[in-house]
Amino acid sequence: MSSSALLGSELLTLFRRRRTWAMLGALALIPVLIGIALRLAGPAPAGRGPAFLSQVTENGLFVGVTAMVVATPLFLPLTIGVVAGDSIAGEASHGTLRYLLIAPAGRIRLLVVKYLAAAAFCAAATLTVVVAGTLVGWVLFPIGPATLLSGATVSVGEALVRFLAIAAYVTVSLLGMSAIGLFLSTLTTVPVGAMAATAILAVVSQILDALPQLEPLSPWLFTHYWLGFGDFLREPPVWDSFGDNALLQAGYLAVFGSLAVGRFLTKDVLS
Amino acid sequence: MRPSDTGARRRFSRWIPAIAAPIAIGVGVVLVPLQAQAAVDLPDLTPAELLELAASSEVDALSGTIEQSSELGLPDLSGLSGPMGGGPGDDDGDGASATDLDDLISLATGTHTARVYLDDEHARLQVLDPLAERDVYVSETDAWVYDSRAAAATHLVFPDEAELEALRDVARGEAAEVRDRLEAELGAPLPTPDEVLERALAALDESTEVSVGSDARVAGREVYELRLEPRDDDTLVGAIAVAIDGEHGVPLAASVTARGADEPAFRVAFTDVSFEAPDASVFAFTPPDGTEVTEHVVPVPTPAELEQWRAEAEAAPPTDGERMPRPIVHGEGWSAVVELPVGTAPAFGAESGDSSAGGEASAMLDSLTESVDGGRVLQTSLLTVLFTDDGRVLAGAVTADRLLDAAASGR
Repeated sequence: MSSSALLGSELLTLFRRRRTWAMLGALALIPVLIGIALRLAGPAPAGRGPAFLSQVTENGLFVGVTAMVVATPLFLPLTIGVVAGDSIAGEASHGTLRYLLIAPAGRIRLLVVKYLAAAAFCAAATLTVVVAGTLVGWVLFPIGPATLLSGATVSVGEALVRFLAIAAYVTVSLLGMSAIGLFLSTLTTVPVGAMAATAILAVVSQILDALPQLEPLSPWLFTHYWLGFGDFLREPPVWDSFGDNALLQAGYLAVFGSLAVGRFLTKDVLS
Repeated sequence: MRPSDTGARRRFSRWIPAIAAPIAIGVGVVLVPLQAQAAVDLPDLTPAELLELAASSEVDALSGTIEQSSELGLPDLSGLSGPMGGGPGDDDGDGASATDLDDLISLATGTHTARVYLDDEHARLQVLDPLAERDVYVSETDAWVYDSRAAAATHLVFPDEAELEALRDVARGEAAEVRDRLEAELGAPLPTPDEVLERALAALDESTEVSVGSDARVAGREVYELRLEPRDDDTLVGAIAVAIDGEHGVPLAASVTARGADEPAFRVAFTDVSFEAPDASVFAFTPPDGTEVTEHVVPVPTPAELEQWRAEAEAAPPTDGERMPRPIVHGEGWSAVVELPVGTAPAFGAESGDSSAGGEASAMLDSLTESVDGGRVLQTSLLTVLFTDDGRVLAGAVTADRLLDAAASGR
């Protein structure tokens, strides 16, 4: 089987699973809940609650961004933890791993394919939040030119492009975490363990980031730039945090990807 | 033996990427900054020449990113600013003062990033807060201050060019008059700017050691370092360093280091800078819909009003009763202590807790300060403030003991 065919079948398996759709549905529920709550309760006072919340009732486009602010610290990492943590350990627990490894030199290829599938899920998850948020906002609230953080106003079209850029930013943010999940998944045959460990690491990393005493450590934490996507809502957009974030995630990918390779190549696959 | 030996070797070889990746990253992390610092050698300058270079700088367009960090040794304030963080939305006065306090605290602790844009007619400062932004747009005729979190804008309108020109004429006329009088008194032409600089440096040299430090690199540009070190042993200030661009003479970084500390207590520096004129669109601002706009007109006195004020001031010298008591300065130079007499500083302590904002503020001061004999002291690595029990406030870049001495002896 060629690599692309293997990736194709992996993606099909992933997106045919009911669990995948349940998680995407749960993510889509966040903007729906925000939209309905604000529709019923009226506008939020400025400066209270998550960023952008007060803008939602004036401009429905901001439902998606508000949902992203809410989803980034916990819900997105939870779902990514499930997918990435399950990648190898899930096959092992089902007893299907050794059949996937029959082809010679197949282990690295399998890891790469599993990682790409997890990355595809990251993109799907962030797009779900943004798209569902935009749809909900469009249905429930007036839509118009959007006010950016700098006070500049951009057209609906440009605002949507910026929201897609935010989805891309968050996707990149989650790539390092996916690599950690993949590595943890090669350590065990119990998928729940790898899933939980990955999600917990994301939370621990954010707690460490919030401690002022550990400030020198924080630029090295994979969650450090997670909320930096607001830089795309400035005029002119600021790209510094995107670049720093991409570099950091690439570093995590290199370290944990190679750890996963080392572990998976030397592992005795018994199931 | 052979087969298992090669097996072990193969096993090990598969871990090589896992070992190599962190090493490669570590080497990169160490080497990239080293390379950026490597081999900066600008032609040597004396402090006077360096100051001339800075004064002759003719940069009127630039854009860049500034990072500011403070490590003043204040206690952790996040717990304090938390409950008050909801302030911006409150439209009453308490909310506003709590926000100002928050802003002050956030400036005094942690790290901030801002972008600056300059061209010959406009300036813009863009403070990049997480998921929020504060902006200052300045043009020749007006200025906008915008805060995204409060969704509020302030519009300052500068006076007409004609009015300013009239004032400038008055100032020029007076300057020429003073100059003529001085030259008549001295019997010689006034010193040139060079000579003035030399004299100023000589005067500064009594209290401060001025030197040019080692060349370095700031924001990728080669810079000179101007160092000011107080000769006074009483002050908390160890050194002030200003990095000046070797080509354009623009200051690119400044830092203040406390005595005995290695890391600066306060530092502001460009992390990247470009001397090309930024696109005109970055200076454009119209307040977005739904923004609360406050209008201010900056008042400018006409020459006639100025005349009148001066006449009034000369006719009736202020009596102590009418005038605000002036701050008293004890000592001089780096270890000077400023004293605000009773009544000028906002009262502080248990008795001032009449309003909720005052109560919060005084609770905050209580937790920031520590009790000493005769008052409370706010101690940072650069500045000390003493609130005496009798209501005076003394501040200076000196130790708490020096402030207590000044409070007790009045000197």
